[in-house]
Amino acid sequence: MGGQPVLHTVTLGSDGGGLHLVPCSRLVKLANGFACNVSIRKGSVHADGKNILDLMILAAGPGEQLELVTSGDGAEEAMAKLVQLFESNFAE
Amino acid sequence: MLVKRGIAVSPGVAIGAAWIFGAERLRVRHYTTKSAIDTDIARFRAALDAVCVEIEGNQKIANQQLGEQYGAIFGAHLLMARSPQLTDEIERLIREKINTPEYACKQVLERYAEVFRNLGNQYHAERAHDINDLQSRLLRYLLGKQRQELGDLSKPVIVLARNLTPSETASLKREFVLGFATEEGGPTSHTAILAGALELPAVVGIGDFLSEIENGDKVIIDGNRGEVIINPVESVLAEYLESQQKFRTNYAALEIERTAEPITADGERIQMLGNIEFPGETEHCLERGADGIGLYRTEFLYLGATKEPSEEDHYNAYCEVIHSLGDREVVIRTLDLGADKVPSVGVHHPASANPALGLRSIRLSLQYLEGFKIQLRAILRAAKHAQSGRVKIMFPMISSLYEFRQAKMVVRDVMDDLDEAGVPFQREVPVGMMVEVPSAAILAEEFAAEVDFFSIGTNDLIQYTLAVDRGDPAVSSHYRTGDPAILRLISMVVKAAENHKIPVTVCGQMSSDPKFLPLLIGLGIRRISVTPHAIPELKAVLRQLNIPQCKDIATHAEWLGLSRVIDNYLQGELRKICPQLGR
Repeated sequence: MGGQPVLHTVTLGSDGGGLHLVPCSRLVKLANGFACNVSIRKGSVHADGKNILDLMILAAGPGEQLELVTSGDGAEEAMAKLVQLFESNFAE
Repeated sequence: MLVKRGIAVSPGVAIGAAWIFGAERLRVRHYTTKSAIDTDIARFRAALDAVCVEIEGNQKIANQQLGEQYGAIFGAHLLMARSPQLTDEIERLIREKINTPEYACKQVLERYAEVFRNLGNQYHAERAHDINDLQSRLLRYLLGKQRQELGDLSKPVIVLARNLTPSETASLKREFVLGFATEEGGPTSHTAILAGALELPAVVGIGDFLSEIENGDKVIIDGNRGEVIINPVESVLAEYLESQQKFRTNYAALEIERTAEPITADGERIQMLGNIEFPGETEHCLERGADGIGLYRTEFLYLGATKEPSEEDHYNAYCEVIHSLGDREVVIRTLDLGADKVPSVGVHHPASANPALGLRSIRLSLQYLEGFKIQLRAILRAAKHAQSGRVKIMFPMISSLYEFRQAKMVVRDVMDDLDEAGVPFQREVPVGMMVEVPSAAILAEEFAAEVDFFSIGTNDLIQYTLAVDRGDPAVSSHYRTGDPAILRLISMVVKAAENHKIPVTVCGQMSSDPKFLPLLIGLGIRRISVTPHAIPELKAVLRQLNIPQCKDIATHAEWLGLSRVIDNYLQGELRKICPQLGR
């Protein structure tokens, strides 16, 4: 494991559709590009950022707050990209 | 020998070998053997790979034809299929529980679908469909050759199924399908209507029976009595072979009616029109001497299609009908489907809990004007090829005056657009409505002042008036065509039409049943629109009737006041009028 886990809190755009099918798939594709673990927390529920079914089951709606955690190789870089993805409202 | 009773929906007798469709849904084995575990896991992985290739293919097509935002949906499906968690869970069931891959896939995916359904929001509940879709794709590959498609039939068989969707029914090849029987379905389901259109003997609503039959068993479908006979004994078989012969002869005798005019014994000319779903059926109507098409159900352009029909698809279908008809009339009914059946719209509107009362028919057209305008443009353009007034537009399921005015305004808008674009079209197009919601019958006077014609759709009018789901076997006995409430509503509509001098037609299965013919004529109906194969028989009955006698029958039926009594009375009257039809 390469260093400390990286944490970041993001809020889903209130005008978007929340963490729907297509945003989820963008997230998974991004996470799969890194060796580190990616997990997303909504309250007490955890989802593996590399598993689309897990992410869907989070059922994160517009305006909801999520906590992103990356740990392992490339955790910092992965987090930067993830935050970018959330901030761009999941634009490709 | 085993005799099963169902609902007769399309007459005739078919004798042949059983062919069970869609049986894999019922026959997934639960357990495999220890020694087969490795092969089963390999089988599962191969099926998964094949499914992924299929999804990738769909993604490519969607990207090209619909745009990347649609392709992205398949991209997400691919990720689901490739989700390691899913693969692990399925393989664990095969390894540890010694489940078959088919059963393991079902178990795991159904659990996910259930989780999605219970997340408490509409969007995720709908994603359960995506999971189900993945499941059925996997099963199709796993079951491989065991599953046969309706399109694969190569020799004549009797198709037996739990249910057939309208698009499956429409894809039945007439040369290989002798008849069919289903466990589910009611007398006025679309499947039943299509069976009539295809002129195949059919029985529906039999209840569980597929488990008692094997592929290849000898089966008799008796579409006259609503019976399915499995492995008949010699004497019964002989009897049926004889009656099959007789049915053909009888039918040939009725064919003589083809050229006869539909006129009562005392000289009243009745307009006898045909109901069609496909342009090709126009010929079926004309062969039997129909005066035209009283109901062209256009929704069959939509069913089974993955994308919506284009303006040209509509236009070509309408032109085909118009050309076959010569100078006869055709009433084109605009889209009469629920939102869930229309590809581009269904995405936003999942099937409602109460589809009969939901977003459908004219409501759907008025909400999704784009598709409605495409259909209207095509009708108006095609009508240019007919004499003025011969092509008519009819709106289904009108329930308020406001709705009719709105729909008619859209017709005017479309005419303005066509004018502006310099596209040739027909201006003289009568615009009418279906009377199939009780509110429309109750306000018939008000409607009659604004519409060019009425057409009473008895199937829905009965369903909505008596609050009976005609497809639900548990209550279908409450669906009574001869109910006095229905007779009262019909006579209200007829009076309103007479007062405003507009034509009124009865379409729907009531008018195809010969025992209701004297009653309808007695109530003042002079136009009926029926399934084409009923025309010769109805003409034969009509020629025995006279108007005063029909009026008496109608008055007496109204006086009887109980649907069951009315039914028996009408049956008895028919027997008196036409002894050979008194079944």
